[in-house]
Amino acid sequence: MAAGTLAERGRAFLPMALKEAGIAAGIALLLALPLVGAKTVSEGSAFVVTPRIVELAIGVVLVFAGRLAIASLRGGHHIPVVAAALALAALGWLFALPSAFLGVVTIAGGLAVACIGAIGLLRARRDRIPAAARIDSARLPRQALAWLGPALIALAILLPFLPFADRRVMDIAILVLTYVMLGWGLNIVVGLAGLLDLGYVAFYAVGAYSYALIARDFGLDFWSCLPLAGVFAAFFGIILGFPVLRLRGDYLAIVTLGFGEMIRIILLNWYNFTGGPDGISGVPRPTFFGLPFKRAPPEGVESFHQFFGIDYASIHRTYFLYFLVLALALITNAFTLRIRRLPIGRAWEALREDEIACRSLGINPTNTKLTAFAIGAMFGGFAGSFFATRQGFISPESFTFIESAIILAIVVLGGMGSQIGVVLAALVLIGLPEFFRELQEYRMLAFGACMVLITVWRPRGLLATRDPMIRLSRRRAPP
Amino acid sequence: MSLLTVEHLTMRFGGLVAVDDVGFSAEEGRITALIGPNGAGKTTVFNCLTGFYKPDTGRLALRADGREHMLERLDDFRVASEAKVARTFQNIRIFPQMSVLENLMVAQHNRLMRASGYTLLGLVGAGRFRAAERAAVERAVYWLDRVGLTDRADIDAGTLPYGGQRRLEIARAMCTEPVLLCLDEPAAGLNPRESGELNDLLTFIKAVHRIGILLIEHDMNVVMEISDRIVVLDHGRKISEGPPDFVRNDPAVIRAYLGEEEHEGG
Amino acid sequence: MEYFLQQLINGVTLGAVYGLIAIGYTLVYGIIGMINFAHGEIYMIGAFIAMIAFLILGPDGGGYLILALFTVLIVSMMLTAVYGWTLERLAYRPLRGSTRLAALISAIGMSIALQNYVQLTQGARTKAIQPVIQGGIELAERDGFAVSLSYIQIVIVVLTLALMASFSLVIGKTALGRAQRACEQDREMAALVGIDVDRTISITFVIGASLAAVAGTMAVFYYGVIDFFIGFLAGIKAFTAAVLGGIGSIPGAMLGGLLIGLIEAFWSGYFTTEYKDVAAFSILVLVLIFRPTGLLGRPEIEKV
Repeated sequence: MAAGTLAERGRAFLPMALKEAGIAAGIALLLALPLVGAKTVSEGSAFVVTPRIVELAIGVVLVFAGRLAIASLRGGHHIPVVAAALALAALGWLFALPSAFLGVVTIAGGLAVACIGAIGLLRARRDRIPAAARIDSARLPRQALAWLGPALIALAILLPFLPFADRRVMDIAILVLTYVMLGWGLNIVVGLAGLLDLGYVAFYAVGAYSYALIARDFGLDFWSCLPLAGVFAAFFGIILGFPVLRLRGDYLAIVTLGFGEMIRIILLNWYNFTGGPDGISGVPRPTFFGLPFKRAPPEGVESFHQFFGIDYASIHRTYFLYFLVLALALITNAFTLRIRRLPIGRAWEALREDEIACRSLGINPTNTKLTAFAIGAMFGGFAGSFFATRQGFISPESFTFIESAIILAIVVLGGMGSQIGVVLAALVLIGLPEFFRELQEYRMLAFGACMVLITVWRPRGLLATRDPMIRLSRRRAPP
Repeated sequence: MSLLTVEHLTMRFGGLVAVDDVGFSAEEGRITALIGPNGAGKTTVFNCLTGFYKPDTGRLALRADGREHMLERLDDFRVASEAKVARTFQNIRIFPQMSVLENLMVAQHNRLMRASGYTLLGLVGAGRFRAAERAAVERAVYWLDRVGLTDRADIDAGTLPYGGQRRLEIARAMCTEPVLLCLDEPAAGLNPRESGELNDLLTFIKAVHRIGILLIEHDMNVVMEISDRIVVLDHGRKISEGPPDFVRNDPAVIRAYLGEEEHEGG
Repeated sequence: MEYFLQQLINGVTLGAVYGLIAIGYTLVYGIIGMINFAHGEIYMIGAFIAMIAFLILGPDGGGYLILALFTVLIVSMMLTAVYGWTLERLAYRPLRGSTRLAALISAIGMSIALQNYVQLTQGARTKAIQPVIQGGIELAERDGFAVSLSYIQIVIVVLTLALMASFSLVIGKTALGRAQRACEQDREMAALVGIDVDRTISITFVIGASLAAVAGTMAVFYYGVIDFFIGFLAGIKAFTAAVLGGIGSIPGAMLGGLLIGLIEAFWSGYFTTEYKDVAAFSILVLVLIFRPTGLLGRPEIEKV
């Protein structure tokens, strides 16, 4: 009986799935026809169009296959779909497709469908196991996450001492940690307070330029400038935030985007002060609390390797920068974890949940938002001055909207409000493309696509499970 | 002198007069009910009282801490923090992703903010803040006991059943230590048993905490049983006011509820 | 005076382009209450499709220039409309019941993805075509400065006005317009009285995208150069126009577009061009702070 209905379902399902896939392929053809099917190439001074039929055809076939796979998964045909998807991914890997783009799409798409299929298969299997024997799938990730945090911190501290930690790895690690820090800073604003800030890069820029300009004009060193940069950024946060924080969420987002762009344009055009598009070069490099990392320090100054009586190695500075950004990031994290237990942190989360209810409880929404905005900006400012000292050179080019979008993507994809999620998202979004240089070109496309997919799939973010910050009972909640 | 005195309250939306020259008062330790058919302007009165709407005309005076507060001049959050007016909402507004206990802690925000030295003392974990936090938890537990949610304190508020969310919202309002509690249809969607419990809770608050309660309610059993005084609105105007027995038999009220046309004449 | 007149002409032309894009923002905002952040990219895609179609037809349009230009416009409108439809279907419809912010994040993701998709498929370099519609009318001349109204400017303004007029008719008089206004007021109620809400929203996106495609096509022939990044700024400015005019209001979008176009033209003409984008952003910020309902918008009453 059961087999009969299954077979019946199978028969009815195929034409339906084929029809759906056909429609999707047709739409894909219309979409891809002008932009994939034709390429504008310059020929002398003019542009001409050359056709790209093969790419177009493969793209449309891929869409057809993908839609068919999704329909089949819905129909319960997990195993053939997973097998076919893996085969497709393997094909994409083994055979050179006419463009790297198609190769990436084929492999990534195949793997993605295979994963979805496998997960579906596991779910279907699990449902047959009696409930008592099932592993509590909701608790499992939570317990894993509780261990993951300390494990990651330990790994981060040990990283420079591991054998594979050469300069390239360290540079990537510094970059990832910078974004982790930015992500944690923005997480206060977006994740906790629920204020969508599309101009976070403005505070990053303010921090970087504060350090560079104070160091250039007043000769202060990194350690004096760091708090100043944070204060300046927070100040900017208050100035920009005060008039606009009463705006509704999506308007606020657009206004912050405007602020971000305005600050960039001003940096770009205020030539006398900021150096305009040339930026500021010769930003002082960091010192080990006064000891410079130099082979031959100026007269009367002791350098790091002299002080410790070790041989000079240029990687010392890299290690130092690494620990510096690690410390800054961990401070950001500790601060966030602490403040979430304080009334102000609770009020941020409450504002995110329901502003009107907050107002009815006597919470001043503008002030509360303003603190979140200013504190988030302050950490952005710290990160900015770290960026300046690490690069030794800054220009407005580093502070475009896309930078804000990347930081936002890290926060959103990680699961808004989740600290560990930010780390994982930064590793995936920043770390992976750095290791796979050939993917660099597709990074932003994948970024955008991931933002859409994850928002659609889980509007509250990937790891959006939240434990209460204060409990009545010390013991874990009853199962 | 009354706890709350409303005089000549008028509120227009474009051409529509939602509340038209309404006046009434509410006393300490008394339950004053605001009733009327749908669209009579009851919630608009609440929104004016709690600062969410700015009325076109009217004087809304509230006596608290020996001072008189002009509610129509205060921002919504100041109505709650300075004039000590707490409210609940017709469509429940709890913080669904926060735990039940956290909901009640948020309600004590201003007190805790002061104790945490506007966050600075709290960051370093000062003893004064920890003591204030313990007191806040105790107050929360007190109200959790009253509304029967103590064993649910650590779960997400959004997972509570409907009746539990209604009670949580009242407990949350009470955690702000108000002098006037405004309840917007607290019995809506409750079953008879829950509705009975609500009556007990409101009677308890009135008797023990001696604050004024202003109640919008459609459930006449609740209204007639616990109200000390009833104000009846229809089409934005006050058509009757008095103790339950008087209002119950007032022909103007009966006309309004049965939907006759004569009320236009006033 | 001549200089002023010239800036006025340039501003009106620019305003027509912004206004057409702004309608897309306003329509979508009116009906589902979200900022379609990817709308600027739809305009950019419209411009690319128009340029590719034109290059396929050849520089002189195979001898029939007017016919060729008309074909280019129609092709761009139709294919861009498919993009608009797909955008809504993939990125917004699944989030219909979700928060405004979730929808906005999805829209930003789409914007980034579309921008990079065009960069990957068409290259990052600026694309250019030779001016197609040349010449114009010289209105006045003094001291060697001639005020000219080029034919392409005339075409842009006339086309925009024609589209606006027919579009207002559609919204005001047809069943589609009624359905749209019904969905705007109360989506659930509209569904109850038998309006196909999904279809109405889809059509709204299709219309918005086609109008953006018109703007994109006009930009190709007016400026002659495009690249994958033009959607960002044009999108922001058009959004500013929509907000300035009163988001949700179609005449407001046109008025806002016109004002933004004029402000930009006069700002570049009399001040510096470097800060002209700051001008647009400042207006956006100021309008949102002091008059969030815009010039022609209805005030929104906060529902408590």
